[in-house]
Amino acid sequence: MSIVGECTIAFVFGSVVGLLVQRSRFCNTAALRDAMLFKTYRNTKALLVAMMILTLGFTGFITIGEGNPMRFDVGLNQIVGLFLFGIGMVLAGACTVSTWVKAGEGNIGAVWALVFTFAGMFLFSLLWSFLYWPPAPSAMTSDPALQTLQLGFSNAATLQEKTGIPAIAFGLVQIMVLFAIYRAILRRERSDTTGATGAD
Amino acid sequence: MEFFRKTLDPVIALAAIAILDIFLFLQLGAWTVGGGETMMTGLIAEFFMGDEIRRIPFWQLVFEPDAGYWKIYISLGMLFGAVLGAVMSGEFFIRYPRRLSEWIMITIGGLLMGIGIRLAFVCNVSTFFGLTPELNMGGYLAISGIVAGAWVGSLLYKRLLGV
Repeated sequence: MSIVGECTIAFVFGSVVGLLVQRSRFCNTAALRDAMLFKTYRNTKALLVAMMILTLGFTGFITIGEGNPMRFDVGLNQIVGLFLFGIGMVLAGACTVSTWVKAGEGNIGAVWALVFTFAGMFLFSLLWSFLYWPPAPSAMTSDPALQTLQLGFSNAATLQEKTGIPAIAFGLVQIMVLFAIYRAILRRERSDTTGATGAD
Repeated sequence: MEFFRKTLDPVIALAAIAILDIFLFLQLGAWTVGGGETMMTGLIAEFFMGDEIRRIPFWQLVFEPDAGYWKIYISLGMLFGAVLGAVMSGEFFIRYPRRLSEWIMITIGGLLMGIGIRLAFVCNVSTFFGLTPELNMGGYLAISGIVAGAWVGSLLYKRLLGV
C-alpha cells in the first residue's frame, strides 16, 4: 500500500475514534482511576467489552495467518515504563487518547499535557542515546537476552506455532477471563444498587 | 442530529472502535498512539534543530523523523474527530486548569507519560487495544505496570487534591 493510502486510512480511523470518544466521554485513565478511587465502572466495562471483541478478532485472524501483529521483544522495561505512564496519566487526568480528544474540545490543560508528553519523549531520547537501553526494535532477536532484561517474543502466533493449538483457542480463554471480570463488575454494581435501595 | 445531542454509551462506542481496530489490524497494524507521538516529537525537534538532530543516536537508530509515518495521522485524526464532535454538539469551549497545583500535576504527568511510553516502547492504547488482544506477553507485563502505576497515581491524586 502507498504511504498516502496508509496515512489516509490512519486519518479516517483516527477521526472516527476521536468522534466516538468525544461523544461517549470514554477515558482510559478513568477506566482504571475511577475503578480504584471511586468504585465506579462506566469506562472499565467499555474497555473490557472492547478487549473481548479485539481478542476474538485478532486471534481469529492470527489463526489463519492474517493481520499485522506488533513485532518487538518484550522486557522488564515495559513494566517500569507503563508504571511511570500509569502515575503520569492519573496526575495529568488524561491518557494518550483523551489528551487529543480533550485538546479538540478546547481544553488547554490537555494541550499542556501533550506538550510535556512530547518533552518527556525528547528527554528520554537524550537518555537513550547514552544508555542504549532498552534495545532498539531493529536489534531485537526474538530470543530472551537476560543481560538486557529482554524476555524474547511471544504472542498468539508463536503460541500456535509452538503448541499446534489454534491461536483462537487461547483467545477464547482470555475472553472468558475478561468476561468473568465484566460479570463480577455487574454483580458488584447490582449489589451496590440493592444496598442503596435497601438503605432507603 | 440526535447523535450530537446525547452522550453515547461508551460500551457501544468502544465496541464500534474495536471493530474498526480489527480492520486497521488487517490493513496496517493495531491502533496505537505513542509511536505517532514519538515521530511528531522527532519532527518538531527537527524543525527547531535542523540537521543537529542527527547527532542524537535515538533519532537515527530508533525513530528517524519521517512525516510519512502512518501512526502520526491516527493522532491528527483523533484531534479532528474530537473538534468535529465538540463543535457539532456545542461542547467546544476554551477552558484552563484553575489552580497552580493542577498545572504542576499536568506538567509532571505529561513528562512521566512521555518518558514511560518511550521506556516501554508501548502506550496505554497499544497495551489494551493491541498487544493484550494479540496475546503478546508484553501486553500482560504492560498491564501489570499500568495498573500498579494508576494505583500509586490515585493515592498521590487523593493526597494532593484531598479527594
